[in-house]
Amino acid sequence: MRFHHRIRTIYVKELIDILRDRRTLLAMIVVPIVMYPLLMLGSIQAVSYQVQSLDDEPIRFGVLTEDDGKHLHALILRDAETLSRVAKRQGAESAGDEDDAPKPLEDYEVRAMASRAALEDAIRERQLHLGILIEKGPLIGGRYRRIHVEFLVDSDNVRSFNAMTRLQDVVARTRDRLLENRLAQVRLPRALAKPYIMDVSDLATPTSMLGQILPLILILLTITGAIYPAIDLTAGERERGTLETLMVCPVPVIDLIVGKFLVVTSVAIMGAALNLTVVSATIYFGGFNRVLAGTEETVPLGKMALILLALIPFAVLMSAVMIAVCSYARTFKEAQNYVTPVILAVLIPGGFAALPTTQLEGVMLVMPVGNMVLLARDLLLGADISWWQVSLVLISTSLYAGAAVAVAASVFGRESVVFADSASLKTIFSRRLIKPAAWPPISMSSLVVALLFPTWFFVQASLSPGPGEGVQRLLRMTGVLMPLLFVACPTIVLLYWRTDIVNAFALRRPGVRSLAAGVLIGLSSWVVARELNVLQSSIIVIPAEILQSFETMAASIVAMPWWMALLLVAVVPAVCEELLFRGFFLSGLMKSARPVTAILVSATVFAVFHFLLFKFLVTAVLGVVFAYLCWRSRSILPGMVAHLLHNAIGALMVIEPSFPQTLGIESSDGDTWAHLPAHVLLPGVAVFVLALILIPRPVRSADEDLSSASFDIRSTA
Amino acid sequence: MDMVIAENLVKVFPTPDGEKCAVDSVSFVVRRGEIYGLLGPNGAGKTTTLRMLSGLMTPTGGTATLAGYSVSKQPQEVKRVLGFLTANTGLYQRLTPRELLIYFCELHQMERPKAEARADYLIDWLGMGDFAKLRCGALSTGQKQQVNIARALVADPPILVMDEPTLGLDVLSNRVILDFIRRERDEGKAIILSTHYLDEAETMCDRVGLLHEGRLVAEGDLDTLREQTGEQRLSVIFLKLIGASESAGAVGS
Repeated sequence: MRFHHRIRTIYVKELIDILRDRRTLLAMIVVPIVMYPLLMLGSIQAVSYQVQSLDDEPIRFGVLTEDDGKHLHALILRDAETLSRVAKRQGAESAGDEDDAPKPLEDYEVRAMASRAALEDAIRERQLHLGILIEKGPLIGGRYRRIHVEFLVDSDNVRSFNAMTRLQDVVARTRDRLLENRLAQVRLPRALAKPYIMDVSDLATPTSMLGQILPLILILLTITGAIYPAIDLTAGERERGTLETLMVCPVPVIDLIVGKFLVVTSVAIMGAALNLTVVSATIYFGGFNRVLAGTEETVPLGKMALILLALIPFAVLMSAVMIAVCSYARTFKEAQNYVTPVILAVLIPGGFAALPTTQLEGVMLVMPVGNMVLLARDLLLGADISWWQVSLVLISTSLYAGAAVAVAASVFGRESVVFADSASLKTIFSRRLIKPAAWPPISMSSLVVALLFPTWFFVQASLSPGPGEGVQRLLRMTGVLMPLLFVACPTIVLLYWRTDIVNAFALRRPGVRSLAAGVLIGLSSWVVARELNVLQSSIIVIPAEILQSFETMAASIVAMPWWMALLLVAVVPAVCEELLFRGFFLSGLMKSARPVTAILVSATVFAVFHFLLFKFLVTAVLGVVFAYLCWRSRSILPGMVAHLLHNAIGALMVIEPSFPQTLGIESSDGDTWAHLPAHVLLPGVAVFVLALILIPRPVRSADEDLSSASFDIRSTA
Repeated sequence: MDMVIAENLVKVFPTPDGEKCAVDSVSFVVRRGEIYGLLGPNGAGKTTTLRMLSGLMTPTGGTATLAGYSVSKQPQEVKRVLGFLTANTGLYQRLTPRELLIYFCELHQMERPKAEARADYLIDWLGMGDFAKLRCGALSTGQKQQVNIARALVADPPILVMDEPTLGLDVLSNRVILDFIRRERDEGKAIILSTHYLDEAETMCDRVGLLHEGRLVAEGDLDTLREQTGEQRLSVIFLKLIGASESAGAVGS
């Protein structure tokens, strides 16, 4: 039975199983359908009721003198009279918009207080809403008086603040009316009173508000959707005793985990879709657009579908993480304890991304969870996002998800977890309980590589030169950080988990043929790489800024002493990248995947680590060649030599312009991507092909090694 | 023919304060058409031995071969020739027995129509027609154990490993299970029956191995053991042998 058939069997059974669970149905269907409308209706009505009732409550003003009180009464009374006159006049013309018409102050009382201190206390203690101090200025021109009104307000108290704005409106209207009257008395047009008229047209659409809050809500809903099935299908299975039964079936653990993981993903997406639909429907049919957005526009249902689509990789990631976390647990309760910190950890980048100023750029592109929030938001807002941003988000998310699934698979079948012999988490980190292993497990290698990915991206992004700067600093820091991250980190992990370093990094002596093949590949691969670039450039045009950065890089290399350039451009990357991708990562993959799959995955990840789409094709092809070389020769060295020579030739072309000229290659002004002349191309390709043929066929012992390697993981899994 | 060969099986568990040897060089063989009783008190290492035989646990030392397949080198093949049943193997509560059997048939690489036919055959054969379409969660303990037996038989394996299959069953269900085990033996299967009900073992087993504190203290058919100890009843024989091994241990130390 093939892989996908087994997984489909497991998937269908687990889906039926989980959907028959009343608790799942309750959490997934009943809660959103019933709760959302209730919650939204309830809370929105409560808010509007409160606002309404605030306007109906009587306002208590406080003054210091009887005179001030009279003045206040007169002010409010005259304003109300004027408003009703205006209303009558307008009412005759049209039925008018009642909501927008200014309302007179009607229900209020005025109390006189003994002193300013007493007045302030009364406001602080909320006995009064607003204090008014009126000071009449001297007569201007013998006729007019300027009046100074001071408001004592407690802006923490919404009633006090409301009282102030309403009285401010009264004063402002009175001021305008007086001014108009005075202008009329000196026979000037009334319009003179308002040299500026301000009108605000809010361009925000209802989606922009939804865009800010919906992604975060959706992410929460997706996580919530994943939690229950993840626990039920892992810890639940263990608790009910069905895990042992399952483990005696002739099914590899990875199939079980993938099947379960797909079910959790499906349920999470179904839950998110249902929640999204119900929220949309509630907003739409409940007429809450006005309340939420202040306009009559409806919720854009097309965009909801788009967001749901963007949510799928996130659901994949969260399901993988949840499955991995819950695989450590032996009981439902234990799993719930593990899940809580995970949710918090997810909410931190999610919350940060939800801040309005955060942009989908830099580290945020590869920040787990955060990048999904931003992508969903930008999709909703219709922001300008390029397809490479989308692909970086999707690729990094898939990388993290893959690592999580691998971890889950290695934990799920673990003896100590299945049979509860000892505390499961302890057995993973307690060194004494770690048995020496011949090969790094796929979970270890993929987890380390997945963690290195955002770290390396951050390093590269933070070191990238500003405009006009050279890249010496980037190169030098890479020379230090690459050995640290790509070699020291995996080594520490390997040592801690007592894994054989020789196997993990393929530190074996190569055969003469493999070494010769490595040298020949290294000498000829630049020809192939260049032609690949020519091919690629006919499909994808390289943006000017990328070309510019290539030139900056070239200038910086020329400016360095030649030995340093060779060290930083050729030696360090060749050694470090080979050890990480063809050593640590590939040997982990080889353990549980077929060689073809392992080579392709390692090459793809190697290419992704270069962060440049325009390098993807070349780096992926070279990654395949180097990985193949390492697999066949069972040694890291031939690939390292090839990689070193490849990079060195690239540097040499830049440092020594006479070198390409001797070969008869046009200097790189103008069209960088011209085909190589035939007298270089043909021998180059010939040498490359010869080298590939020279790579030794797999010997018997290598095969046995691999089969015993794959057996190792099964028996420990 | 030796269907099961265990040679010097050792299992050492790491514990917070050192190591614990749960199984200490246990060797035995089980032949076709034979019920081999693995007997011993709780904690003697019966379950651990059976888990190593079924590939659920990796032995710390020693080897085991089932129907010619090495447990450590061909775990998937071993799982194909093995039916494994314990007293506390759970069923999926929300599936019906029929759905559950079809699922396990499919996990044993049968296509859907064949899986359905096999499930219906087992339901009929084990007389589970009355409750085949109820959810497993609603079944009685005896019915559940019947479903479990059917589950262990989906691939018609030549070897059956049964760890305390009658634990907690009433007399009637007990009868059903034991009758079934005998029937399977008569059909030529190699059966390992682990139990601490010695009376049951006495009537069921062709040969027995007595496990005590991880070690096989005695092995053979009942007559041999009776001759060896001069006792008739298995429970008395067992106590005598344990006493002997303990005093031997005391002398040795």
